Amino acid sequence: MSWQKVCMASEVREGTPTMVSLGRREIGILRYGDSFHAVLNFCPHAGAPIARGRVEAIVLGNEPGALPDCDHDRPVLKCPWHHWEFDLTSGASVCPIKPRIKMFPLKVENGDIWIDA
Amino acid sequence: MQPLIDCDIHQPNPTQEEWCEYLPEPYRSEVARFGPRIISSGIRFEDGGNRWDLGGERNGRTLRDPEFYSEQLLDTYGHRYAILSGNNGHIAGMPDPDYTAALCTALNNYYLDRWLPRDERFLLTLKIPLQDPAQAVREIERLAGTPRVVAVSVFATANRIAFGERYYWPIYEACQRHNLPLHLHPSTTATIANAAMTPAGQAATYLESHVCMPQFYMAQVASMVLNGVFAKFEQLKVILVEGGICWLPHLLWRMDAEFKGLRHQAPFLKRMPSDYVRDHVRLTTQPIEEPSKAEHLLQMFDMIGADDIVMYASDFPHWDFDEPTKLPRALGETTLRRILHDNAAQFFNLPAVPVTEAAIS
Repeated sequence: MSWQKVCMASEVREGTPTMVSLGRREIGILRYGDSFHAVLNFCPHAGAPIARGRVEAIVLGNEPGALPDCDHDRPVLKCPWHHWEFDLTSGASVCPIKPRIKMFPLKVENGDIWIDA
Repeated sequence: MQPLIDCDIHQPNPTQEEWCEYLPEPYRSEVARFGPRIISSGIRFEDGGNRWDLGGERNGRTLRDPEFYSEQLLDTYGHRYAILSGNNGHIAGMPDPDYTAALCTALNNYYLDRWLPRDERFLLTLKIPLQDPAQAVREIERLAGTPRVVAVSVFATANRIAFGERYYWPIYEACQRHNLPLHLHPSTTATIANAAMTPAGQAATYLESHVCMPQFYMAQVASMVLNGVFAKFEQLKVILVEGGICWLPHLLWRMDAEFKGLRHQAPFLKRMPSDYVRDHVRLTTQPIEEPSKAEHLLQMFDMIGADDIVMYASDFPHWDFDEPTKLPRALGETTLRRILHDNAAQFFNLPAVPVTEAAIS
């Protein structure tokens, strides 16, 4: 693992991943508001190119019968194939199941995006 | 003898004369003058009645006598308890909520007076009018705590409103408060009155209707789980009667699979849908499926964790009655004991088997 500059933050648009290749690995750089996330482009469920999925605020429901809410500080990535959702703050599945996506540490410095991969 | 708890036996409806004694006015006068209000499925029902060998008298008793059940069922197989389900499915299809509420009260009082005292092994399920949840709650409140009243009976086939909807939540709250499980039973008659007999449309025969019964349970369980009934009512328990068991693995797997991609439509679920089923829902054995390869049934028991969630029911005296010996011996002594007795004893909070009795068995 080593920090590598992969792109400029201004290149990454919401709704469209910026794909970078590091060796054999294809990594998607995702943006949600002012937050950036780096994910391996591989869904642990069925191997789909998960970086091509959708990034949305997590939908939360505290109690049946009450209106649901969403948390914009906790975006999720939904896979394009079967819509499994993963918490972009941790890589964990939002459902209480074990599979998780591979994420890489990411930092923005002087307008550049660096990932530790 | 293996201790036995039977989760579904069917005592007869009272005669009109007996029933009218318990029916409040103005319905008592109405029924006396015009007869009871009648709905019927319109399909041939004769083949779905009682075992033919139970007609006529035995020891001077008939199927109208509680003692007939005691002798021909409870004494014969060694029941510790048997749950009286009644034969009153038509109440779920009645359009008038007040008439239905009066009917339920009359039936409950009749069975409490005329059946429970006749054998201490009888347990009763309460009838309630689903047409009016407020009156249903009042009936639960009226009789909760009555000795040997162990569940609230509802008919779960083609209801106008699926069981997960908030319309029913006052009933579930009352059941939870009084620790009374919901005892779900199919009804062919209620089905025709409320909606289509199967998800595909009307069934032409009793055969077709009866084969499709588990489809209603699949829909009702999915409705209750995915609308958050068990997340809301964490102590609520449900028993599904007369649906068999082999449909459950499909439902559990499909609910879990789809939830992984559509969780945001039920965000109040904190666990996987199958976890709620395992914690809140129990199935009864009858009519146990009969695959051509016996080992396939054992595999199904394994898939659903039968040790914990399956309980025995005979459906006596109906035509598709199952003896307790119909369960595969290959399940093993421990699993059989749990299915035939222990799971139901725990589910209904029934007294433990006395030590001496347990030692003898």
